[in-house]
Amino acid sequence: MSVDLPQIKGFLETSFIDWPGKLCAILFVGGCNFRCPFCHNHPLVLAPEGLETIPFAEIMGRLATRKNWLAGVCISGGEPTLSPGLPVMIAKLKAEGWAIKLDTNGSRPEMLAQLLANNLLDMVAMDVKTVLVQDKYERCAGGPVDLGAIQKSIDLLSNSDIPHEFRMTIAPGLHTEEDIVVWNHQFDRSRSSLTLQNFNPLTTLDVRFEKEKGFVPEIFSRLVGMIA
Amino acid sequence: MGVVMPLNAETVQARTQRVVNEDSTDIALFVRSSQDDMTGWNRQRIVDALLRETFIDRDTAEKISRDIEVTIQAGKVKTITGPLIREMVNAKLLEMGLEEARRMHTRLGVPLYDVDQLLVQHNKENANVPHGPEATNLTLAEGIKKEYALLHVFTPDVADAHLSGDLHLHDLGFIDRPYCSGQSLEYIKKFGLNLPHALSMAKPAKHAEVLLAHMVKFAASLQSHFAGAIGWDAINLFYAPYLEELDDDGVKQLAQMMIYEFSQQAVARGGQAIFSDVNIYWEVPKHFVDVPAIGPGGVYTGKTYGEYEKQAQRFAWALFEVYKEGDAAGRPFFFPKPLVHITEKFFKTDGHLEFLHHICEVASVKGNTYFVFDRGDTAKISECCRLSFKLEASDLEDAKQPWKMRYSALQNVTINLPRLAFKAKGDDTKLFALLTEKIQLAAKAHEQKKKFIERLMSLGKGGPLSLLAMDLDGEPYLKLHRCSYLIGMVGLNELIRVHLGQELHDSDASIKFGLKVIAHMNIVCNKLAESLDMKFVLEQTPAESTAFRFAKLDLAHFSTEAEKVVLGNREKGEVYYSNSTLFNVGATMSPIARVEKEGLFHPLIEAGSITHIWLGEAQPDKEALAGFVINVFKYTQNDQIAFSPEFTACLACGKTSRGLSEICPYCQSKDVDGITRITGYFTKISSWNKGKLGELHDRYRNVDRFNN
Repeated sequence: MSVDLPQIKGFLETSFIDWPGKLCAILFVGGCNFRCPFCHNHPLVLAPEGLETIPFAEIMGRLATRKNWLAGVCISGGEPTLSPGLPVMIAKLKAEGWAIKLDTNGSRPEMLAQLLANNLLDMVAMDVKTVLVQDKYERCAGGPVDLGAIQKSIDLLSNSDIPHEFRMTIAPGLHTEEDIVVWNHQFDRSRSSLTLQNFNPLTTLDVRFEKEKGFVPEIFSRLVGMIA
Repeated sequence: MGVVMPLNAETVQARTQRVVNEDSTDIALFVRSSQDDMTGWNRQRIVDALLRETFIDRDTAEKISRDIEVTIQAGKVKTITGPLIREMVNAKLLEMGLEEARRMHTRLGVPLYDVDQLLVQHNKENANVPHGPEATNLTLAEGIKKEYALLHVFTPDVADAHLSGDLHLHDLGFIDRPYCSGQSLEYIKKFGLNLPHALSMAKPAKHAEVLLAHMVKFAASLQSHFAGAIGWDAINLFYAPYLEELDDDGVKQLAQMMIYEFSQQAVARGGQAIFSDVNIYWEVPKHFVDVPAIGPGGVYTGKTYGEYEKQAQRFAWALFEVYKEGDAAGRPFFFPKPLVHITEKFFKTDGHLEFLHHICEVASVKGNTYFVFDRGDTAKISECCRLSFKLEASDLEDAKQPWKMRYSALQNVTINLPRLAFKAKGDDTKLFALLTEKIQLAAKAHEQKKKFIERLMSLGKGGPLSLLAMDLDGEPYLKLHRCSYLIGMVGLNELIRVHLGQELHDSDASIKFGLKVIAHMNIVCNKLAESLDMKFVLEQTPAESTAFRFAKLDLAHFSTEAEKVVLGNREKGEVYYSNSTLFNVGATMSPIARVEKEGLFHPLIEAGSITHIWLGEAQPDKEALAGFVINVFKYTQNDQIAFSPEFTACLACGKTSRGLSEICPYCQSKDVDGITRITGYFTKISSWNKGKLGELHDRYRNVDRFNN
């Protein structure tokens, strides 16, 4: 049985910032099950059909010319794990020798488990929106969330030998200092790395959020210091 | 019809040669009178001036002076000044059809209204000039020298080509100086600070801080004798023999002093910072390994520079630690610009990867680092926005006595490429013929400037360029016979767009044609170099204001054609052409594609090129950047790259944040200024000209994820 490959809606050939220590290309897969109000990639989330799908063969062709330059391919979104064809696509990239990083919100632990079990991932960055408290999480994700699934994904990654990071985008209206302390304690720091990202009001999914502000730099630095 | 004199720079120069030693204040103001008392009035002075300055005959001069006297006596003029009389004489000359005589007799100066505007408004031609009394002095002096140059140094065909925007003669206000200078610290290490006409003379420095003091003062005096950049070769290596007495803190302190000294020198000429570059090597460059090192007191230390690798590395490391911290408000230092040479030997030198990560972190955090790629056996000294001098056999011979290593470009002339395409109307033959013609004209401009500087230099130590005539090592500081003459270009991308209907980034065919254009420029330069025995070399013009000026002039004079290709925002007047051979700054191109494709042009441009990677807000990972830099060296022909981040400096709270924002993220004040690279250096955006503002808006920052 053949499955459709994920719809690639965006391609950035070179990123200096998406894979720690590496120069990588990024594929953006359309569609997402979350509606995080601070999302910057909202065209991918709300109206992916309005964006042209880039044929996978074209992407493979462009990547092939950059073998010397790129250390890997980052698959981002949207939420790539929603696509049943994701393992097939990754396997094709792997066959060409590409290392793969996956960006996910952790809502599909079965898919994540399958990818890990088949050695299809070299690095995973999981967005953990906030502490695992139902109403808080749903506020940050903009809709209903199965916290059990999120916890499963966290456990999968924490117990795997693959390099991974948990990251959280924080905004003054959504996160308190206490949340960050609690969040920090969720993880075994000897196995997992944690990153905080400051909310940036430039073009957000929920336009009301464009009026919000990130933490002032001094406070943000202090919060980063708390999880260091 | 009056007498028509063939006017060219030569006859005018010969004519005025005689008066060079007369006190010019007499000439400027030779009468002042009030009401009917004409104290000091002497008609004969008009005659004298006309005979001295022009070719008209005595009888005509006498007649003019009598006519002027009648006008003054009949008129109700209350105060007569020298300048007014001179203008009256000029009007008379014009009336009599004596156009050439009027030209020779003309006054240079500035209307009252303009001076009033100048003293209050900010001059934005060069973002490195702040606003203040020294800056307005500079602008006024430059204005007069520019007029002088166009009337008197260059022939009318050259001057007209500049004024109409076919060419741009750079730094006309600095007509009496060469363009830029690159040198070795060894000169002051060996000879001390021993400048002509100085109030005191210093022996060679015994301590690192004293050497620094000498270096800064020497740089300032060079700034007063050159129009542009002052570059220093292998700075960390030449300091090395002075560093043995210092511990790591001491070396860091010295690095800090050097960077602060140069970045805070905006107190000298015209309130301008010294446009300074320091060349830095992690390895000991091959040509210096066996050279005996000069140390404290100007004496040989008994070791060669090859033995100072560790000291040199300590200093290089410390300099970048200081760059990483930035100034007291966390802003990047604007000067001196650090140019790190990446060579084959770099990769064979211990600790190079750590150093590469270190300088890449600076590139990411503050943007200062320039990565200069010297592949194979090339050795270069870089300065200015991108200018570099490739060291030839004779230079490498000089390297054995490094104080002899000094390089200068005498002038820079830039060609307006899009205009050639407007005129060629799609005809290749015509396009290349026009290009040849303009390069020949540029070469002519260089010959004329050379002649003028030669004349000043011939006055020797008693002349205006005594510093450049000083010969402590047996040769004048400025080695005129070895100077380069730069020929630059603006708007290759727009030329291609007019001629082929597509831009450089659109197709391989347009790149190929672009390469043909630049190769042709190169060939013509080489031919002219041979026939005129002058070193003409192509350079990527930084074109901070030229790209704006050409675009503006073409919109005025070739509006139909120019409107289709000029970049920027025409409503706001923020228009520009793409710099030199750069691709459209707004084209969605990955940094890899940009360094590869722009790099194809670099081998053809001997005096230096650069590719900019605009980072915007993103703060890249240092290891990712280092990997990128290594690949640029290995897999491309690119000469030089720099990564440019953007910052917002708050004038209210004094803090600096990443990215360009309208509101300070710390204190929410709107009183902010942006900081980023304008062309080859960092500066405050509030000081930018309109063309550059247009470009800033268009710059592709590698974040446009869903359109490429």
